[in-house]
Amino acid sequence: MSLIFKRTIDFTRNLGRTILGNQHYPVTQRIAFKSDQTPQIESRPTVAKLDPLQKSQLIDFGKYVSDCLPKYVQKVQITSGNELEVLIPPDAVIPVLQFLKDHHSAQFASLVDIAGMDVPSRVNRFEIIYNLLSLRYNARIRIKTYTDELTPIDSACEVFKAANWYEREIWDMYGVFFANHPDLRRILTDYGFEGHPFRKDFPLSGYVELRYDDEQKRVVVEPLELAQEFRRFELSAPWEQFPNFRGNPVEEVASTAEPKKE
Amino acid sequence: MGLIKKTTGLMGLAVNPNPHHTLGALYGKILRTLQKMPEQSVYRKYTEQIVKERAAVLQQTKDSYEIENKINCGQAEELIIQAENELNLARKMLNWKPWEPLVAKPPKGQWDWPPSKA
Repeated sequence: MSLIFKRTIDFTRNLGRTILGNQHYPVTQRIAFKSDQTPQIESRPTVAKLDPLQKSQLIDFGKYVSDCLPKYVQKVQITSGNELEVLIPPDAVIPVLQFLKDHHSAQFASLVDIAGMDVPSRVNRFEIIYNLLSLRYNARIRIKTYTDELTPIDSACEVFKAANWYEREIWDMYGVFFANHPDLRRILTDYGFEGHPFRKDFPLSGYVELRYDDEQKRVVVEPLELAQEFRRFELSAPWEQFPNFRGNPVEEVASTAEPKKE
Repeated sequence: MGLIKKTTGLMGLAVNPNPHHTLGALYGKILRTLQKMPEQSVYRKYTEQIVKERAAVLQQTKDSYEIENKINCGQAEELIIQAENELNLARKMLNWKPWEPLVAKPPKGQWDWPPSKA
């Protein structure tokens, strides 16, 4: 709330200045928020403070990774100011994870989570996201790769034992197949459940309903009676209306090795 | 030194009676594995640099407390684990050949965020 309040104050002050100075700026020009502010030291108590030293270290490490593995790293970027992301093709999952886990200056020995993401407008609609933590260097890194409904991704189980259940979750929720997984079964959904509920084209109501039938004296599964009519699913992001959403591009970390080759 | 180290204080990690010897052997193995990689490999360059630095510390002293202080990356037993991991990785890297050019370019629009409207 205080953030909005402050912005409003800034806005009115600027407006006042323009009126006093008798300059004709279009008023909408002054509503650009974050990019408009000079990079000052963050003093608002509710906003995370970014450490420039940590960020420069992250940029250096991002370059280090992409230099060491030019075969496997497509892009390195920093999002939200201090989150390092390495974007890799689906074949590279095991080499990149193994490198980050075992290399002396990485030691990301702990797999925090594997997440999935569904963007139906893309050719490869699923993103698989690995979050790693290095206890030795107190650092985090995120690995992203992509796949579609049919292409299997190499299972990370041989690198991280923790990947077993996370990959089962992804399989259950998105239907992404993991090759060489020791035990790929559903994990979160009910017995006999069909479909992958986190897909964007899975209806909110599901396909079946469960109810207790008095005559048969048991729980029965029936196709949904209040079935949704076929509709075009509106897949635009709900935060589309916020100006920062499109106006806040990720920062790409350029590899030092690339320009020499090309 | 004088004191005999009884525990590392870490679950499942036993005290190594002669970390200097073990580390020396592992670093030698890593360097020999790295020799098989091509000269221009950046992975080889950086790893050689790290391992040679640590091996140089081993040359200077035999005292494991001093080694730990100079390398400054945990206890000697942890250093051994790190070296084992690196050796394992380096051997796998010989098969993966990460110094080659990029295997697959991303499809157009794959990493665009926010995604274009469907």
